[in-house]
Formats: sequence, structure tokens, C-alpha cells
Amino acid sequence: MGKLKPLVEKEVKDLLRDPRIYIGLIVPIIMLPLLGFAMSVAMRSTAEAAVMEMNIAVLDQDGTETSRGFISILTHMGLNMPNVSADSLDRALEEARTLESKALLIIPEGFEENLLGFGRVRIEVYSIVERAGLGSMGAYSAIDGALGTSSEILSATLISKIAPGLEPDVIRNPLNVTRYTIIKDRVIEVPPQALLGQLVIGYGIMVPMVLFILAITVTQIAATATAVENEEKTLETLLTFPVTRYDILMAKLLGSSIVAILGGILFTVGFLLYFEGLFAMPGLEVGAGSVFQALPPPPLGTYVVLSLSLILSILFITSLGVVVGALSSDVRMSSSLLGILIIPILIPSMLIMYGDLKVLPFALQILAYALPTSYPMIMAKEMITSTIPAEVFYGILYSAALTLAVVYATSKLLAPEKLLTLQYRLRFRRIKRKQAKDLE
Amino acid sequence: MHDAKVVEVRNLAKRFGESVALDNISFRIGEREIFGLIGPNGAGKTTTLRVLATLLLPTSGYVRVLGYDVVSEAEKVRPLISYLAEDAGAYRNLSGYEYLSIVAKIYFGSKVDAESAVEEAVETSGLGDRIMGKMKTYSKGMKRRIQVARALMTKPELAILDEPTAGLDVFHAQHVRGIVKRHVAEGGAVVLSSHNMLEVEHLCSKLAFIHRGQIMVEGGPQIIKDEYGASNLEEAFLEVIGKWES
Repeated sequence: MGKLKPLVEKEVKDLLRDPRIYIGLIVPIIMLPLLGFAMSVAMRSTAEAAVMEMNIAVLDQDGTETSRGFISILTHMGLNMPNVSADSLDRALEEARTLESKALLIIPEGFEENLLGFGRVRIEVYSIVERAGLGSMGAYSAIDGALGTSSEILSATLISKIAPGLEPDVIRNPLNVTRYTIIKDRVIEVPPQALLGQLVIGYGIMVPMVLFILAITVTQIAATATAVENEEKTLETLLTFPVTRYDILMAKLLGSSIVAILGGILFTVGFLLYFEGLFAMPGLEVGAGSVFQALPPPPLGTYVVLSLSLILSILFITSLGVVVGALSSDVRMSSSLLGILIIPILIPSMLIMYGDLKVLPFALQILAYALPTSYPMIMAKEMITSTIPAEVFYGILYSAALTLAVVYATSKLLAPEKLLTLQYRLRFRRIKRKQAKDLE
Repeated sequence: MHDAKVVEVRNLAKRFGESVALDNISFRIGEREIFGLIGPNGAGKTTTLRVLATLLLPTSGYVRVLGYDVVSEAEKVRPLISYLAEDAGAYRNLSGYEYLSIVAKIYFGSKVDAESAVEEAVETSGLGDRIMGKMKTYSKGMKRRIQVARALMTKPELAILDEPTAGLDVFHAQHVRGIVKRHVAEGGAVVLSSHNMLEVEHLCSKLAFIHRGQIMVEGGPQIIKDEYGASNLEEAFLEVIGKWES
């Protein structure tokens, strides 16, 4: 430990001061909240502008007191309703377009007669789409909302006429349903869809996504840290110090992991702030987090298993990063090699995040179970039900064995004799490939 | 107990695939000796030094440093030596002081010893206040001086220096030569490589001309000059290589 400490100190200081690293760490905490805020502001202002300028042309073919009353209800709801007086649909639409209306509302003849005769009245709404965007979507939803509300007002008026003294809402909705969901032996007053929605977003997507970002970051940092040693010609000197190859490797793994965990924290904060910004949109305040507060936290055992599988997968992936960095003569080459390594890690992660592993084709299941990085994601998803799946137990044993083998092989690789030979072979292959391409 | 011979190399051969880098070379370095390896580019100087520094494995031969085998006892050799690579770089984001402190913490068990070694190395480097600046702001010469200071800071029994004055101006090269001499006076031994014949002539107590992986001549500078009737080492070197080529 005595000699490992200064080596880790060197790694952490050198990494945290490297612009190639710290810019990558700082960007999410600045950019994600800004992105969320910008999206929220853009959507809100577009929606507000769309609703504020809401012009709905109306063609009143009934021309009765009731139809005028109906238009008045809509006007009181904040809609601007200019009248058009055309004799055909095409001309009415043309007029509506000239008035820059979002829609044309046609109240047909017989509106009053049907309504007062307790028949169903038909009205037509022609939505005019001039611009695509979330804001426009909000405007059309607002039209539907206004029509729905005015329909309820009309319904209440009719019910009061037939049965004065009765509550119209009771007639319309005689069943008063209160939804409860039982999870982890706790009764919560929310429908299961809402509960599962939040839990799946939380444990099923958010946690695996953070783990995935952590895995990518840690690999990138370890590869860069080692490739920089090659690029700056410091590895040779380091390997003559009175420390074991294992100490050098452990320092790289620990240093990269410390910096990556810091990056993971910054990313998570950035990601949460992004959602904070986004959920500031009216209508999106769904009380995110309320379900988590209502539920008991997952038991300690699940956290222990999650941490263990996470540590093993970080060690595994960092070792691979060190291998990539060690084989690269410079940072650019390590980034290219890393791209190849990331793809097989990315695919199983996506499968776990958005699907159910057990129903996937056998080959994809094998790919996912073969990677130690899959197990913390599987565990995170299972935290919803507080169970520790059997495959995670076996997976931890398997990951430990594989990680030890990779760490051992990597420490053996940290010898100039092997590195020089392997780097030479890699460079030679690239030159040969380039020559073959040139000949073509 | 260490062997009285600091370095003993017998029939050392090193091959990289088909290419022969060292072809059965033998030499010895004693205590308080500065041994110079002189030869053109690709002669095998750096490969020899890398084998002594436990970085490369010999293909065959017997190599012992301070009595320990460089292959099977590499971990016993490393605390006793220090190696300065010809193109040794610097950790760009650390200051010279931080770098020296980290190396001292690795070599010295006690904090007091480490701090005193760092203070001495700061003095040796001659960087003054710039020692606190990040090494990415250093010139090539400054980086070399910090590396020389680092290599000798640990008071190694054998300092392996590959082109120690490469890239340094006359004043700083002279400064480094002084540090090397002081190290030997304090009881250490040095093996170095150099292209600078004048430097080797004035610095080394013993030297070897190396060419195409073979040692052509070995001895004291004056003895070699006398043997080949040369007025300086450069003449002697050209004479030896010329004879060998013909």
C-alpha cells in the first residue's frame, strides 16, 4: 500500500488536470441542465405563444341563440373565434387560413334543435397544420380541451333541466374508483401504471444508464491515462521504479476509477438537473420521485450485491482500457481501438435497459451474460422487486474469475518487452492495410 | 551482500525477431566507475542499458547488477538502480516538485528522507521557482534537468543514463556532468551512453566502443587513445570502426 499511494496520487492529479479528461467530466453537469432548461423554455414558449394566439375560425350554419351561446363559452375560455361566412367548405377553409386560424369549427344546421331534443349534436373541427413542433401539438390539445370542457358545461345544463337538484357529475360518472397498488407489502394510493412507469424509468433506465456512462467513462480514462504514458514516454521510466507491475496496474485502475466515479456523480447530477429543467414544463409535473418516497428502500443485501457487481465490472472494464492504452502508441490510436471495444459493451447494455433478457435470442443472451458489465444493470432492474436473481450470484462469481484473469493478464502485459512487440505488430498491420488500400 | 562488481555482463545477446541487436557482448563495471558506451545510432547502446535496467529480457547470456540477476531477481535490482531513458518524457500536468515528491515517496520509506531527497533534487535541477510550474510549460532542457535530478535523487548504487546531456546547452550539460561526477564521488557507479566524444573523454573512467551489437574495444580513454595513436577519442573511434569494417 505504501508504494501504491503515491502512484494513485500521480494518476489522479495527472488525470484531473488533463483537459482531455476534465472537459469530458465538466461538460455533462453544465450542458445537460442547460439542455433541459433550453428544451423546457422552447417548448413552453412555443406552447404559450400557440395558445395565446389561438385563432379558431367558426362557421355557424345554425345561427341560433344556443349556437351563439356555445361560441361564447369557447370565447370565455380564451379562444379567439372570428366568424367566417362562406357557402362551401373550401372557401371557409381559405378564409380561415387568411385569418391565420389554427382550426375551422363548423356548427351545422340543427345544432340547437338536436341539443334541446336531447339528441347527439355533430360539430366538425378542421385542424390546419402550418408548422410542426411540440408547441403546435399543445395548441391542438388546447382546442380539444376547450371543446371537452364546453361539452361538459352543455351536459351539466341539460342534466339540470331534466333532474334539477342532482349533481350532473354523479350522473355522468356513477362509479368512484380509487386505485391502490400493493408492492413490497406496502399499499400505495396510485394506479399500477403510474407506479411501474416511475419505477421502470428509475431503476430500469436511469440507473443502468448511469452505470453504462460510468463504464464508458472509466474505460476511456484508463485507456487515455495509459496511452498518455506511451505518448509522453513516461511508461518506460515508471517500469524501472521499485514497484511491481501489479502496483502500477492497480494505481491505473484505482486512479481511473476514482476519476470516473467523480465523472459518474457529475453526470448523474447533470442528468437529474436536465429532468428538473424538463419537468418544469406545465403538465409534466407528474410528481417524479413521489413513488420512491412512498416505497421502502431496497434492502441492504441488494445494494451489497449491486456494489460488488459494480466494482467487479469497473475493474474488468478498466483493465481492458489499460490494455487498449498500453497497446496504443498515442491517445488518438487508443480512442480508435476503444471505439471497437465499446460496441460489444453497448449492445447488451441497451438490451438490458429496454428489454427483457430472458426472451431474447440465445446468442444475444450469451453475449449479455458473458460481460461482467451486464450484472450491475440486471441487479439494478431487479431492485424494483427487492429480489436478487440467481444469475447475478453466479454472474458475480464468474465476473470475479474473469476480472482476476484479465487483471493478471494485463499486469503481465505491462512489460516493455511485450508492449514493444505488440505495438510493433499493430503498427505493422496498419501499414500493411494502408499499403493494400493504396494498391487498390 | 552485494558483489564488488557493480555490473557483470557475459555473452549478452538480444534479438528482435530476425534482427540481432546485441551479439554476445561482455563487460564489467566496478564501484565508483563511470562507464561509457559509445557507438553510432542503432549500435545497441540503448538495448544494453534497457537490459541492465530490467526493461528488456536478454535472449541469452549472463547479466548481473550488484550481484543480482536482471531476469530472475529484477525486483531486487530495481531499488538499487535508476534509469534515465534517452527520450524520457514528463507528466505534463504535474509540477516538477510534485513529480520529484511522488518518486521520492516510492523510493524512501521515511517521510523525512523523502523530503530531504526532494530538496536536494530541486537544488540539483537548478530550476529555481520554475520547479512549482507544470512540466508542460518546461523547455526540453528543463525536462531533461528534472529527469537527471530524479534519476540521481534516489542515490542509486548504479545510475543508468542514456544520453544524459542530450538537448542541453553547454552550460547545463556542464552542470549535469558535475552532478554525475559528484554522484560517483559519493560512492555510486554510472553507466552512460553518449554521442559526445569530448564528454565521454572527460567524464568516463572506462568506456567501450560498440558497433552493430558488438563491443570493438574496451578500456580507459587514455589507454584506447594510446593504443590507436589517436589524439582524441573521435579519431580512435573512427580508426576502430574503419578497421572493423574493412
